[in-house]
Amino acid sequence: MTDVRVSETDPFESAVPERDGRRPGNPGPAGGSFGTADWLKWAWRQLTSMRIALVLLFLLALGSVPGSMLPQEGTDPAGVQQYFTSHPALAPLLNHLGLFDVFGAPWFAAIYLLLFASLVGCVVPRTFRLAGSARTLPPRAPRNLARLPASAGYATAVSPAQAAEVAARVLSSHGFRLRRPAPTVLAEPTVLAEPTVLAEPTGAPDSGSGSGPGELEGHWVSAEKGYLREVGNLLFHLALLGVLVSVALGGLFGYKADRLLVQGTSFADTQTDLDEFYPGRLVTAADLPPFTVTLNTFEASYISSGAQRGQPNSFDAQISYTASSGGPVRTDRLEVNRPLSVDGAKVYLIGHGYAPEFKVTDARGQVVFDGAQPFISGTTGNFLSQGVLKVSGAQPEQLGFSGVFVPTAVDVDGTLESVFPAADNPVVSLIAYAGNLGMNSGPSQSVYQMDTTGMKQLTAAPQLLRVGQSLKLPDGQGTVTFTGYQQWVSLAITHDPGQLPALICGMAALGGLLLSFVVRRRRVFVRASTSPEGTTVHVGGLARTDASGSFEDEFASLAAELRSAHQQAAQDQGVPPSAPAAPNRHEGE
Amino acid sequence: MTRAPVTRARRRAVVLVAAVSAGVLLIVVLVAGWAGSGKSDVTEVDGSTSAVLYAAGHRPVAPGFSGTTLAGSRLSFSSYRGRVVVLNFWGSWCVPCRAEASTLAAVAALYRSSGVAFLGVDVRDTTASALAFTRTFGITYPSVTDPSSAITLDFTSVVPIAGTPTTLVIDRTGHIAGAVFGSTTYPELTTILAKVSGKAADEAVSR
Amino acid sequence: MPVNLALGHVSNDFLIAALVIYSLSVVAFAGDFAFGRPRRAGASGRVPQERAAALAAVGAAAVGGVVGADPALAAGSAGVLAPDGVQTPADDQVPGAGGGSGGTDSMPELAVPALRAIREAGAWVRAGVALSGVGVAAHIVAVVTRGLAVHRAPWGNMYEFVTALTCVAAIFFLFVMIRYRAWSLGVFVMGAVVLALGLAETLIYTAAGQLVPALQSYWLDIHVTAMTLATGIFFVAAALGAVYLIVDRYARRVAAGRAEPGNGIVRRLPTTEQLDRLTYRTIVFGFPVWTFGVIAGAIWADQAWGRYWGWDPVETWAFITWVLYAAFLHARATAGWRGRRAHYIQLLGFTSLMFNILVVQVFVTGLHSYAGVS
Repeated sequence: MTDVRVSETDPFESAVPERDGRRPGNPGPAGGSFGTADWLKWAWRQLTSMRIALVLLFLLALGSVPGSMLPQEGTDPAGVQQYFTSHPALAPLLNHLGLFDVFGAPWFAAIYLLLFASLVGCVVPRTFRLAGSARTLPPRAPRNLARLPASAGYATAVSPAQAAEVAARVLSSHGFRLRRPAPTVLAEPTVLAEPTVLAEPTGAPDSGSGSGPGELEGHWVSAEKGYLREVGNLLFHLALLGVLVSVALGGLFGYKADRLLVQGTSFADTQTDLDEFYPGRLVTAADLPPFTVTLNTFEASYISSGAQRGQPNSFDAQISYTASSGGPVRTDRLEVNRPLSVDGAKVYLIGHGYAPEFKVTDARGQVVFDGAQPFISGTTGNFLSQGVLKVSGAQPEQLGFSGVFVPTAVDVDGTLESVFPAADNPVVSLIAYAGNLGMNSGPSQSVYQMDTTGMKQLTAAPQLLRVGQSLKLPDGQGTVTFTGYQQWVSLAITHDPGQLPALICGMAALGGLLLSFVVRRRRVFVRASTSPEGTTVHVGGLARTDASGSFEDEFASLAAELRSAHQQAAQDQGVPPSAPAAPNRHEGE
Repeated sequence: MTRAPVTRARRRAVVLVAAVSAGVLLIVVLVAGWAGSGKSDVTEVDGSTSAVLYAAGHRPVAPGFSGTTLAGSRLSFSSYRGRVVVLNFWGSWCVPCRAEASTLAAVAALYRSSGVAFLGVDVRDTTASALAFTRTFGITYPSVTDPSSAITLDFTSVVPIAGTPTTLVIDRTGHIAGAVFGSTTYPELTTILAKVSGKAADEAVSR
Repeated sequence: MPVNLALGHVSNDFLIAALVIYSLSVVAFAGDFAFGRPRRAGASGRVPQERAAALAAVGAAAVGGVVGADPALAAGSAGVLAPDGVQTPADDQVPGAGGGSGGTDSMPELAVPALRAIREAGAWVRAGVALSGVGVAAHIVAVVTRGLAVHRAPWGNMYEFVTALTCVAAIFFLFVMIRYRAWSLGVFVMGAVVLALGLAETLIYTAAGQLVPALQSYWLDIHVTAMTLATGIFFVAAALGAVYLIVDRYARRVAAGRAEPGNGIVRRLPTTEQLDRLTYRTIVFGFPVWTFGVIAGAIWADQAWGRYWGWDPVETWAFITWVLYAAFLHARATAGWRGRRAHYIQLLGFTSLMFNILVVQVFVTGLHSYAGVS
């Protein structure tokens, strides 16, 4: 990547010797007053300067740091809550600064928006300038090519005019854009006759050209190549802008949703049936595609021996789905890294866990609960899972259970631990409550949390149950039986219309980057003049100062090729002059 | 290069104009998107945006469905043709559903003799809990289970059902005439039923 | 497929061997510093004006980007030097001294071929280069056998990643050192490689094993490979940047009159311009690879987690690293930010990269916690 602004020591743009923040031809307002328009102009110029771009880049990097260190609302709301409880004084201050949602915060948006404004403010004029330079010719060849960073000289037998012609052909065959002197100028050194302005010719006296004084033009060829570099540069920066637009597109028209699905059950992609739904700004629930997914089976296998015992080996979920209500049922296998694509949305397998099954009978002998209740494992190892069972239909008093599910239970010094993630020895431990769950009125409750303030604990210690065992509650309150377990998967459903544009812009940015690094803008000049040895040909060249490639290699081979072309032309001149032979071309190097 | 400052100024003007018009366009689009759409064919009930009536001629057709009731028998919606139906989406795990349950039971009793039918759709639930719910709140009207959410899906395509509870009032021609998104109150439900069935609450009882 | 533990052990053995051999090469390069043949490698005090004067004096003469300073450091292999340009301490003031001055024939000549340059640099350099080469070979064997042992690309956890990236860095540096005849840089870069490998072996070693299902994807080969390559290249750039800062500090001290020119090891190091250019070219090589790695990571994230960018901590730090290297490239084109400040930025970028690998992946919980270190 190169500077979007022109470098100061760039020999290519000597007409615009800018310093950061100031442009020529605009020395300031006449009269000394500085109105609003001038302030705006000053601000714009500052914004589009390289220095400010650098500062904004630093700010962007710095601003991202708290977004990675503190828990963020979007990805870890529970962590944010935890931070509030553990840092009661600091957390509200950080919240005020927007540090729990850094990447959505206005100050972060301000940084990247300013950066992109600066980018656009640089890129657009550069595009105009590129278009302009594509039309203008390369500059005339300097008089003394030996002062250039790369130069060479040799003698040849052809006349200067022919030498220039041959050189033009060789350079043009390499894709250079050429400039030749106008044929009439050769005889008329009119410009130099003006005594006032150009008192002496620019540059050093003719040290190596061997031409006589006063011959201003001579025979020369000026060649330039490598405009693609600027194209690549501009493409890169514009593509970054495209990525930003794509991200915005996704934020407006995309959505994300979560659903926990127990084995044997189905869900439909409708707002009522999703656990979480995060629509983009312009998305409503009506935009959700109407597909349905059933989880037929889920299998997780784990490494059973060796140093990595307990590490997951593979997950796979067998599902069936319909793309629309009443449509044909298809089956598929869902895995990590292998989402289901349906109706424009994608369904991902994110995680899994256990849902123990219970059967609860209340004091009146009625079966008031009979099914699976998902438990959540969190970060504890080996899928030790926690959950609650709220039996709101129990009479006369509602019942509630808080429990721990241990897939492979082993008694370690009196505490129950899970030593393997597979359910080889499933045990459930329950604490029973009776009273008012608080579910008959008030705000909605999470299915995974129980509020025991209106309840009394029935059992003093947690009771352990194996599959098939029952717990009889005291005072005839009822019984609860641990009947078995199911597995559940957590699915993420996403739709992002900005995804493909972002990818295309990303690849375009990469392409532009490579182009701007690999292609160099370079100029090659050839001057042919008469000398005691016949004709002396001088070749000179230069590339932009911060080039990353090896212009020297290219120049060396070009010089060699020119020389051999001239030698070939000299040989061919043994042939009658009516049929001049074309010099040998070396295609490719 | 004497032309350069003039053309540069002109270019800058062009860019500025383009940027301003793009900005204006963007703002217009965003405002239009955010503002949402105000439909004239929907009237609010009691000033609440969650309870609405659909004007005649703008009522979506209620999709047909069939399912198994909590009692275990088959039920088809087509059997309710010609009657006003109150369709309530609920679940025993859902706190606002529990809050409105007594209201629904009461209004159901009120309008039973007028021929208004109440029907429940039990969502994301298990049979034992659902039956316990009906016992607790004295719900005597039937409910079909919706294990794959197919019924919910079909209805969501015609009315914006956002969650449970949702109550829909379907007129005699099988069109959805009114809806309450969220838990319903006695005044809201009776107002809608009065409009749709043509019988006010007190009339319904006295008939 | 079960892990081939025997091959895993072979891999470890070869890695230890590489570590030892690299250490010996560092010793050899250090020996070249202390006892090697005198090479006026761009001593401090050389300023660009000398080059123009040299050019003018010779007339139609030299071709080549880096002129005059170090005949042994001919940037651009088609550079100008006369065949004996390497070993003439007295002639190193004038470029192309043997190339034929004045007159009308001054065609660019090919530089000394690499093997001859190595031979002519002295016994210590020969030993250093040879040992480095053997070390790299052992390192490659270690990485490859690890891959064969686990039946997948051998960069699935932090230990594997560090061993692979140091291998990339060593190969890349070997290439750069030979191409630019930059023998004096050997002790620094190979020394850094030794340090990194030592860290990998002692602190973050993980036995050969299987990957969690989330990593069992062909995207591992694409995304992590690109990150490994880019990190290896940035590793070399960071080492060169550190050398730059050393030389630059010395040059400034000389300019302020607080140090004698031509003293100590700095005398044998390349000039700041040469180091700056070398570092720039290295980063220019690595930056697109890093960009590609980030894009590939985003594609993989979309496949695995349902979104291509979620500001996961590792993603965020990869972004910070990218922005810092972009700032370096911008700084080189900004007045007042070239030179020392640009290299500070570059080193900051590398620090954030290392922070990402060593700290964020291990300690900050997120979706990327696959370091494998418990």
